[in-house]
Amino acid sequence: MKNFDSIFAAYLVGWAVYFVFYLSIGKRAAALTGEIERLKNSVGRGK
Amino acid sequence: MSIGPNTLALLGKELQTEFRSRELLTTTGVFILMVLVLFSFTFDPTSSESRRFGPGLLWLAFLFASSLMLQPCFLREQTNDTLSSLRLAVSDPFSIFLAKLGANTLFLLFTELVMLPIFSVLYSVHVLPQIHYLLLVLFLGSLGISITGTALSAISAQARMRELLLPVLLLPLLTPILVASTEVTVGLLAPEPFMEWKGIGVLAIFDLVFLTAVWLFGEYLLEE
Amino acid sequence: MSKRAILGLLTLCLVVASAYASFYVAPLERTMGPIQKIFYFHAASAWAGMTAFMVCFVANLLYVWRRQVKWDWLGVSCAEVGLVFTTVVLITGPIWAKPVWGIWWTWDWRLTSTFVMWLLYVSFLLLRTLVEEPDRRALFSALFGIFAFLDVPLVYFSIRWWRTQHPQPVVLGGTGSGLEPTMRKVFFFTVLAMHALMALLIAERYLLEKLRGGVDELKREAEAQ
Repeated sequence: MKNFDSIFAAYLVGWAVYFVFYLSIGKRAAALTGEIERLKNSVGRGK
Repeated sequence: MSIGPNTLALLGKELQTEFRSRELLTTTGVFILMVLVLFSFTFDPTSSESRRFGPGLLWLAFLFASSLMLQPCFLREQTNDTLSSLRLAVSDPFSIFLAKLGANTLFLLFTELVMLPIFSVLYSVHVLPQIHYLLLVLFLGSLGISITGTALSAISAQARMRELLLPVLLLPLLTPILVASTEVTVGLLAPEPFMEWKGIGVLAIFDLVFLTAVWLFGEYLLEE
Repeated sequence: MSKRAILGLLTLCLVVASAYASFYVAPLERTMGPIQKIFYFHAASAWAGMTAFMVCFVANLLYVWRRQVKWDWLGVSCAEVGLVFTTVVLITGPIWAKPVWGIWWTWDWRLTSTFVMWLLYVSFLLLRTLVEEPDRRALFSALFGIFAFLDVPLVYFSIRWWRTQHPQPVVLGGTGSGLEPTMRKVFFFTVLAMHALMALLIAERYLLEKLRGGVDELKREAEAQ
């Protein structure tokens, strides 16, 4: 196929960007969930 | 008191404050001059090249200068904590905005008019024949810059990195002004001058849209 | 399987199906050949990005009016997702342009106005990082978001007019205009798939923002003790 590299690169880069974004949300969410647990425990202890 | 007298009173105060020290006008003028000189090194300033690149560079200089000049607008009120007293003094917060953007438009126009003959000499372009149309585009362009710049300076005054934030917020927003003003000015300074009314239309619509937006949302920008 | 996982899987299926359709269902374009197939992905991403910014605008208006934090959460989610889609547009555009015109970038009016729109929403997100107080941050970014969105059509029309004054090689061809029927069907299917992806990403980002709100609230509670 003519210009196969370019089409391949375009789809790869595009999907990679969306996928990396999706993963980064997941990572940040996991970190925040952990922090919520930690805070809930310390608030619970304080009460 | 209705909006008119309030605005005029506040406008008078703004003008009086500036004309007492004239530091804003002087510094802005010197900045524009410096930019004009530096631009001359970026291309070959022959007469035909100047007619091609000159207007764009002139408007870029005005844009950069205004993004710096509009910083003190609300910063001044914040450092002296005068904003709450201003809001108490008027019934409609829009008058505060109107006064400030009126003052800023006048300051910008004044500086631009001083710079225009200097630009004309430095870059060998004839501005006098089309001066009436040039005044129109200068007015509409400066108005658009002031409306958005005044509104955004109210935001940047309360943020960190405010000296960089105002240009970063303002300059992309002013793209239509830069494009339209440059096109109109290029037409007016061409060997056979012509008036690009479409550009004037873009400028007028920009001014109207953002003036309406500031009228609708301006009071929230001044919230404590 | 949870509702979120099902929706995620469905979106993935739609996206893969649209890619399949672009390559095997859509006919080959006469002049450009296979490289034209980038168009489906590229233009559909642009449309989805624009939709995200539109929803952001509505969320901004609602926040300024109602002052409910959920509108701030929706606003920032849409702005970020819209920015991601626009980034893909700005990357795939040059990848398309290089083989066709031999240059990566051209100040073609579509790419230029997309770039300016991208810069506006980058500024939106930057503003949020520079205002510390949460209510003020929400209000100011909502107001800037409103200004930015009002500016987008002005940017679009002024740059388009400017570029037709100074004709440039048309890089992206007659995209969307005079599309052959099968191509049009594939294009709209890809638009659907991209919108599904957009909705999924906004939903996930919104939940993240909601979590962040929860953390802030718990922190305030902990400090109060």
